[in-house]
Amino acid sequence: MDKQTFLLVENLSKSFGNEQVLKKISFTLEKNALMAILGRSGSGKTTLLKCLAGLDSPDFGEVLLSQQSIRKLPPQSRGVVYLFQEPLLFPHLNVYENLAFGLRLRKTTDSVIKNEVEEMLTQLGLTDHAKKAPHQLSGGQRQRVSFGRAVMTKPRLLLLDEPFASLDVDLKAQMQELFLELARNYDITAIWVTHDLKEALMMGTRFGFMQQGSLRLYESASDFVSDSQTGVQNEIAFWKGVLAQEK
Amino acid sequence: MKRILKILGVVAFALVMLLPFAFLGYWALGEGWRFPRLWPDRWHTSAIESFFSGKFLESLLLSVVISISVAVFATALGYITAHYVGYHRQRKWLLRIAYLPFVASPVILATCLLFLWIKLRLVGTLFGVVLAQWMFAFSFAIVFFVPFWSPTIRATEELVYTLGGTARQALQKVLLPMSVASLRICFFQTFLMSWVQYGITLMVGGGKVQTLPVLVYFYVNEANVTFAAMASLLLTLPPLLLLAFNKKYLWNENG
Repeated sequence: MDKQTFLLVENLSKSFGNEQVLKKISFTLEKNALMAILGRSGSGKTTLLKCLAGLDSPDFGEVLLSQQSIRKLPPQSRGVVYLFQEPLLFPHLNVYENLAFGLRLRKTTDSVIKNEVEEMLTQLGLTDHAKKAPHQLSGGQRQRVSFGRAVMTKPRLLLLDEPFASLDVDLKAQMQELFLELARNYDITAIWVTHDLKEALMMGTRFGFMQQGSLRLYESASDFVSDSQTGVQNEIAFWKGVLAQEK
Repeated sequence: MKRILKILGVVAFALVMLLPFAFLGYWALGEGWRFPRLWPDRWHTSAIESFFSGKFLESLLLSVVISISVAVFATALGYITAHYVGYHRQRKWLLRIAYLPFVASPVILATCLLFLWIKLRLVGTLFGVVLAQWMFAFSFAIVFFVPFWSPTIRATEELVYTLGGTARQALQKVLLPMSVASLRICFFQTFLMSWVQYGITLMVGGGKVQTLPVLVYFYVNEANVTFAAMASLLLTLPPLLLLAFNKKYLWNENG
């Protein structure tokens, strides 16, 4: 493992009954990199993230984070935050308290919490919504709070499981931009799984394609685009066909 | 005309709903009534005086203690057990098993278990009655709480863990606050189940544990209509108070 490697996943395997969901998954990730993993439903993406977060136990394999094994650590000791498809804001807490949640768990002082939450509210563009309850927010605002809450705990690794799947196209684009900005500001290292080709290409600095429990890695975006299995070529052919018909 | 009919409808509805209570009050405070007269010979307060002088109060307190014990243990343990059932791979099967005490009549099941209760020397004891009533209330609480432990709640719980929270913090700071309404309703329901329980109490209590429902039937058998009516009125009091305290949750007044 070279010094630049921040996350190392080696031969990670997982079965549910007779079905092997993860087949010897291996990859590495550098600090501040964002790996986009494309895959269809049932390809094993969510199981991979859950194994990395400690919410599922792999049958075999190893996971090293900053050169230390985290495989046997409980989720709360890993420093790995897993964000679900839904924002999952705590309904009994307002926006301010939702953002402060992770810091309160760590018994951070009130003054530090106040400074950090206010800064985050500004970054998220939610300063006027601090006292609102989650049900008073729009879908995009809820997702922003969810991101902010995760980022505020300064996770060593952030795992995102199709976080924008339920948003419309415009909102999705805004959120993608916001996330990239947050990732830059807070030095986020992340794995982003999606079934959306465009999103994978927009968000990733590294690329992978998951199919039937196996992960294929790509050296660059162009390799990812060139591979017929990812579906990018089909997409390009489709749009070319549409344009040709127009002419 | 339409408005008058509406008002009459409301009045008729209120009368039908309140009539049993009014009738009980009439029996408790009236004396010497004969059909077809409308009013009794005289009104008296001897039943109320008797209440404060002993037996009623004793039964009332006993009923409160039993019902609160049943409700607290059934709600707390039902909540925890439903967490296990709700997240289990065999959730459907476990839930079906939890339904079983409802399939059998409580009295019939209690009759079948009476031998066990006798062997354990629980018959005629307060603990025996609480345990027997708890069995059914616990089963109800599990069935009640299993839908709460949905995939969304599980994801929320897991999110707390990855944000750095322990199981205890997840329970205290997220799960319990999110389930306050369900906990209150379950407590209320299990309290009521225990409060009106007659058959099991009589069988397991062996006549020694005289809760209010047992007392009512005792007076009915004695043909003591006044005392039976008074005890019945008292029987309705705590549930009404609980209803008033929990109206926000029971009727979802917040919308």
